[in-house]
Amino acid sequence: MWEETQRIFLESLARVLQGAARQLPGALAMLFLLLIAVGAALVLRAAVRRVCERLEVDRRLREWGFAGPPAEGQLVPSLLIARLVTWTVLAVGFLAGLTAFETASTSALASRLLDFVPHMVVAVVIVLVGLAGSRAVERSVLIGAVNMGLHSARLLGLGARWLVVVLAFSIALEQLGVGGRVVPVSLGIVFGGIVLALALAVGLGAKDVVARSLERRFPAAPNPLDEDEDEGEEGKLHHL
Amino acid sequence: MPLEATAIAPGVAGEIVVALDGPSAVDDRAAELELQLNRRFPKHRATLLVTRRRAGEVALATPGVEPSPPLASELSAQVTTGGGIPGQSSALGALLREGVRRRAAAVALVAAAPHDASADWLGLLLAPVLEDGFEYVCPTYLRHRSDAPLNTGVIYPLTRALYGQRLRQPLGGEVALSLPLATLLLDDPDWRRDPLHAGSDAWLVAKALAGRRRICQAWLGAWPGAGRADEGVTETLTRALGLVFREMERHASRWQRVEGSLPVPSFGSGGWLGGEAPRVNLERLLDKFRLGARELAPVWSLVLPPATLLALRQASAARTEAFRFQDDAWARIVYDFAVAYYAKTMERRQLLASFTPLYLGWIASAVQETQGLDEVAFEARLEALCAAFERQKRYLISRWRWPDGFNP
Repeated sequence: MWEETQRIFLESLARVLQGAARQLPGALAMLFLLLIAVGAALVLRAAVRRVCERLEVDRRLREWGFAGPPAEGQLVPSLLIARLVTWTVLAVGFLAGLTAFETASTSALASRLLDFVPHMVVAVVIVLVGLAGSRAVERSVLIGAVNMGLHSARLLGLGARWLVVVLAFSIALEQLGVGGRVVPVSLGIVFGGIVLALALAVGLGAKDVVARSLERRFPAAPNPLDEDEDEGEEGKLHHL
Repeated sequence: MPLEATAIAPGVAGEIVVALDGPSAVDDRAAELELQLNRRFPKHRATLLVTRRRAGEVALATPGVEPSPPLASELSAQVTTGGGIPGQSSALGALLREGVRRRAAAVALVAAAPHDASADWLGLLLAPVLEDGFEYVCPTYLRHRSDAPLNTGVIYPLTRALYGQRLRQPLGGEVALSLPLATLLLDDPDWRRDPLHAGSDAWLVAKALAGRRRICQAWLGAWPGAGRADEGVTETLTRALGLVFREMERHASRWQRVEGSLPVPSFGSGGWLGGEAPRVNLERLLDKFRLGARELAPVWSLVLPPATLLALRQASAARTEAFRFQDDAWARIVYDFAVAYYAKTMERRQLLASFTPLYLGWIASAVQETQGLDEVAFEARLEALCAAFERQKRYLISRWRWPDGFNP
């Protein structure tokens, strides 16, 4: 009995050890790939930070309205980009390491995930550009609306910003293959709704503003900004 | 002490080259001006040319004649400038090329619009160069004191505080130059390095002021009118302030060493034009300012320090008749925007456009404050504003040197 138990125990131990030995090269290869990924991530992180510093990315993004002024405890864009690159490289290294295992299911999963990485990167870039661009659009619309004398300028700016954000996320989702045809159709409905709402708003509520704006653009009529509208060139204020 | 004119070969009977710049139909006017010049300066041969714009390039041509396309090699052989054709897209550039090529004693750029017939405006513009040895004559016009508020409230006080010379209308549009200055300007590397700004009014006046040239101003009678198509207030602000701020950036090392200001020699009869004041709708101006103070606070907070933002909030809450912009606060606001433009705190066009409500608020304040004043009192009021700009120049210099010192 004892001999039988000992034999079964030794056989199972041998099987486990054989299995472990079979996986050992794969594990070593994974470890090696992870080490390479960590090294590459660190090098790339330093390179990205240096390039961002040299190109004055933080200042430029702030100037274009893509990023706000630096605040206490808040990540600056160049650091964010560097971190994104680091984690992307680490993730790719990890997935590449998984393919080193001989297990068919793990390998297949890793391969599929690796195929997905470029789409993921593009989607992330689209979202980042969209988020950054939305701030510039918001500021531009806000200032333009204030100078046109529109009282809901901040609302308009916010609306324009969210429009860009929604558009960016929709394109990113489509890139990832999430939602299929639902995303473009939803986007079409949302955009159509916004355009209809704007058309109704202009037609019903803001026709005077539009008329003033058109008059300003076509100088046949006097500039109504700060002069009376029913008089000619005589007595008109010239700013310069 | 005002700068004294020193003789740089006055009386040499050289040619006068005058370029007539206007949208169209200037040929008849050119003949009339040529006659006028020959009568006024009989010792000098006057050549009147008209500007022709084609495919983004400006050329000078004899009235009634289409210009033949110039050869770049021919031009670069005639002038000393190396590389490219200077001022290819600027009327001033074309005039400088022509003046230097002809070795003209004086060159002038004048608007095609009819000028004040009661003033010897062409003589006043050219005589300081031809007879008194000045190198740069800045035109100044009689206008109603409420007109041109951008010049009165920003351009004049700012230019005066920066360069220490009291040029009343620095962006006059017209100009007369001596041959030495024309040659120097034509050789300027900015034509290649910064073709977008080289040749503009602000570029020219800043070059003359920062280069400590012999400058003067000539009162040419009533303002002949805007040379360009009517623009909105935001477009005017963006264009004019953008040019002035760009020149501030270029000549920063020069203006930081200037303190106070001196009058410049003047020719002709100065003053203000009487008659009906330009129409200004105070309520509408204040509405725009209040709207800006409410909606643009997050944008302004990137440019203006908290104390100024607080003052603006308080001003926007004031009743119309009590609404005032303090001179020192206004000067600091203008300087803060200049620093933000230089430091590229935000996109430059957006920055300048966001200045519009502040400027409209200042107009409302200035109109209310000066509408009951006589000419002498108005002049004193303007002098106080300019003094505030000069007083606050230390603030500008300190912010310019450490733009991040104020952390919004």
